[in-house]
Amino acid sequence: MIRIFLTVCALAVAGFGAAHAQPANPDGHGEDHGDNHAHGGETLQPTLHEDITTALAEGGSLVVAEVNGMVCDFCATAMTRTFGRRDEIGAVHVDLDTKTLQLVIREGLSMDDATITDLVTRSGYQLASIRRGTGA
Amino acid sequence: MRTFALAASCALLGAAAADARPVSYEGGWTVIGESDRESTSLLTHHTPHHEWSVGLKAEWMRDSDIVFTGVQATHLVKRWFAPDSQANLYAFAGAGIAEGINANPMDAEAAGLVGVMADWETRRWFVSYEARVSDFGSGVDAMQAARVGVAPYVGDFGDLHTWLMLEIDQRPERDEPVTVTPLIRFFKGSFLLELGYTPAVNEPYASFTYRF
Repeated sequence: MIRIFLTVCALAVAGFGAAHAQPANPDGHGEDHGDNHAHGGETLQPTLHEDITTALAEGGSLVVAEVNGMVCDFCATAMTRTFGRRDEIGAVHVDLDTKTLQLVIREGLSMDDATITDLVTRSGYQLASIRRGTGA
Repeated sequence: MRTFALAASCALLGAAAADARPVSYEGGWTVIGESDRESTSLLTHHTPHHEWSVGLKAEWMRDSDIVFTGVQATHLVKRWFAPDSQANLYAFAGAGIAEGINANPMDAEAAGLVGVMADWETRRWFVSYEARVSDFGSGVDAMQAARVGVAPYVGDFGDLHTWLMLEIDQRPERDEPVTVTPLIRFFKGSFLLELGYTPAVNEPYASFTYRF
């Protein structure tokens, strides 16, 4: 039983680790999702998800929020579900590497900073900053 | 009395947890199933506020053939945020009815449980602690468990995450009061699965969490 369990563990780690490995990227994105990103004041520029670029192409406006405490998929799921059910939101994506929540506000609609802060809190997390438009 | 004092001290020791996020986002639902060396349980909870969850719990103590069914409330006492980590302290309590099944003739009677959980995690490291005191009709029972984990690789949202973990639990009233359970956690999106084995008592460990 122990041997079976250890074998399963070893295969899982080796297999999924290899499957997850990504080629080197000149800007450093995708090489290492480790804990050393954005430390000491370094700010990583989030790579916009396909859903975000599609919604932007349809005329929405971009909001990127830095969120403290997002360390797992449950955190990301909480954020995408909370924001995803709002009419103002055309697309939502969480980038755990850059600890950012990417939002596209639908054309003609708006969502102020206080509402975004409140929704992040209701998701269980803490807002660090908000950037809008081309500066995001 | 000594048992109660020990149980109370276990509950007040205050450090870590086995369950992954017993309080969800507002409006979220979570189903948690777990089968450890002693019991098999199912908890379905709803989070009306980001600091509270309430749910229905059923737990089968397999050796004694006692089944508890009741309600459980969990309070997020404190969450500490950092850019790369978070830590949580939870308190929970449940009340309901316990009764014997199969060969156990125990009639239904009032039952309850209280406990604390705490955890700290980054995307690479995980530490947790849980202490629980329960009375399911056969006397006050206490347990505490601590867990450490490491992710051999770190994935982004939507990837399959894998964790290697080690849990140590103490149940003072058992023949084997302290056991060690190595386990592996798979985590993707809204679904989390854990598989392990407790050699000292030759029992498998399994748990799942689904959030929606």
